[in-house]
Amino acid sequence: MGDETLACDECGASLRFEGTRTTKCPYCASPSVLARPARHDLPNPDFVVAFVLGQRTANEIAKGWTRSRGPFTHGGIKNASFDDVRGVYVPAYLYGALARSAYSAEIGENYTETETYTTTENGKTVTKTRTVTKTEWRSLSGNWAGYVRDVVVSASKGLPNALLGAVEPFDLRALRRYDVGQVQGWLAEEPSLGGDACMAHARQEAQEDVAAALARLMPGDSHRGLSFSTTFEREIASLVLVPVWVFAVRYAPDKPLVRLVVNGQTGRAYGKAPLSWARVAIAVALALAVIAVVVLVFGGER
Amino acid sequence: MSAAACSRCATPLEAGDLRCATCAQPAPVRDDVPPEATARILRCESCGAAVAFSAEHQGTRCVFCGSVTRLEEPHDPIEAAELYLPFKTSPEAAHAAVRGWLGTLGFFRPSDLARAATIDNIKPLFFAAWVFDADALVSWAADSDQGSRRSDWAPHAGQTRMRFDAILVSASRGLQAEEASRLAPGFDLRTSGKSPEGPEGATVERFDVQRSAARTIIARALEATAVQRVSQGEVPGRRVRNCHVGVVLHGLVSKRYALPAYVLAYRYDGRVYRAIVHGQTPQLTFGDAPLSWRKIAALVLGVLALIAVIVAIAWRR
Repeated sequence: MGDETLACDECGASLRFEGTRTTKCPYCASPSVLARPARHDLPNPDFVVAFVLGQRTANEIAKGWTRSRGPFTHGGIKNASFDDVRGVYVPAYLYGALARSAYSAEIGENYTETETYTTTENGKTVTKTRTVTKTEWRSLSGNWAGYVRDVVVSASKGLPNALLGAVEPFDLRALRRYDVGQVQGWLAEEPSLGGDACMAHARQEAQEDVAAALARLMPGDSHRGLSFSTTFEREIASLVLVPVWVFAVRYAPDKPLVRLVVNGQTGRAYGKAPLSWARVAIAVALALAVIAVVVLVFGGER
Repeated sequence: MSAAACSRCATPLEAGDLRCATCAQPAPVRDDVPPEATARILRCESCGAAVAFSAEHQGTRCVFCGSVTRLEEPHDPIEAAELYLPFKTSPEAAHAAVRGWLGTLGFFRPSDLARAATIDNIKPLFFAAWVFDADALVSWAADSDQGSRRSDWAPHAGQTRMRFDAILVSASRGLQAEEASRLAPGFDLRTSGKSPEGPEGATVERFDVQRSAARTIIARALEATAVQRVSQGEVPGRRVRNCHVGVVLHGLVSKRYALPAYVLAYRYDGRVYRAIVHGQTPQLTFGDAPLSWRKIAALVLGVLALIAVIVAIAWRR
């Protein structure tokens, strides 16, 4: 991928950029930023969302996350330590397009009817009336067009799109043009996922946006069976660096590390806390015991 | 002012825009990429040591001497009026317009309203508003009575092109939204100038919102206008509900205006009422006015008396 070996501007030592746009000189510790012409699958960043949360704040958020895990998580998580903490500018594509869709759906239009029914009152059979709401289903089809904007998909193999999605959204009003000053001294990754794979993810997310827009468009009291086909025109994907804190959480000496991701702008945290099967088993056993006791006590009364 | 237009939707880009406000396409940029790869170090302007970006300072901070260079803030200025419409109604004419208006309010107002009201306070005001033009492709869906079967409603959908010309969106704090929309038809936008013209001491309202917020307000107003037009002109049938639209804008041009109006207070029978006079078309005058409870009571009594008479006659027979 985008590996480069260049000379340090401070001391002349050899610098290796291995899939990153930034590095620190091993001899003089000067932070350097790579500048290079764009290549296929390796464009230059257009935009940056700068870090807003420093390491201390991010640490507090991570601590808060470990403390607030549920009762079925591994007991060690509450006192977990962080083996590694990194602030990473993750490469992502900011995607936009003009979407055109043809849709069809069934629209539910409610109406009320007066119904007669018979019931028994004081031992006598009586006839009564009541109003009931019923739904008439009518088919509707049409065309829709709209702009898709602000779709962000990961261009990093290290942080899959689903994981980035879990700490989204980023406030794109704070978008700035890429500049050395925003990334120097931080880890800024080069895109490691091919453009085609990223576009596939982006179109998938765009489809979800279109589905939501169409659901809002539907008239009637309810709708069902909404199906649509969409073409995307005038697509644009710009490379944007987004700020993410990545924590390697150690909750037990003999267990693998757990990754915790924190949005470096908004503080939204996501990680998969390890379950404690022993605790789950105890809870299930307790629940069964309670049921058994109830059955025994009430069953015995008969 | 706008230098270029978005290549996707033809909306003019304003200075500092990174992306098109309408369709979010990135604005073009002049690249300063080197012909071959180089390792760069951004240095402190005061001591020459390498700097690092600091999240706490939102800028680069020199690890050595601590000096901070803040990043340029994303461009989102508080908006100010760029065009002013001149007052064509003088304060005296506004006075006269209010008196005239008070005399035309009909039977249920006090007879001496126009004579006895005292005008306390007449304030010339340039109120803040956006005026926009745009072309749009509107996709709509709605329920109407046309084609209905068992339910009163049947669904309809369609797509139509629309032209929006000089749609006014109030940004005013001094005027309520409804007041501003009643004034809208009386303005002649061709008379606009670069500075306020009118009576001395006129208040010029600020917009009080940032550009990003302004664009949200305009987009909402545009959608509301589209819903209104679709409900009235596109959906078949007489009754319409659940009218929803999706809008693709093309060439959205919005301008910030300061528009002239008089806001005044008049006193009648010890109470204060509010009235608005258009700054260019004084025939557009409206506001609050007292009701004559004596006249209403007299009418109610009269009607009751009439009913009593009719009942009495009917009973005698």
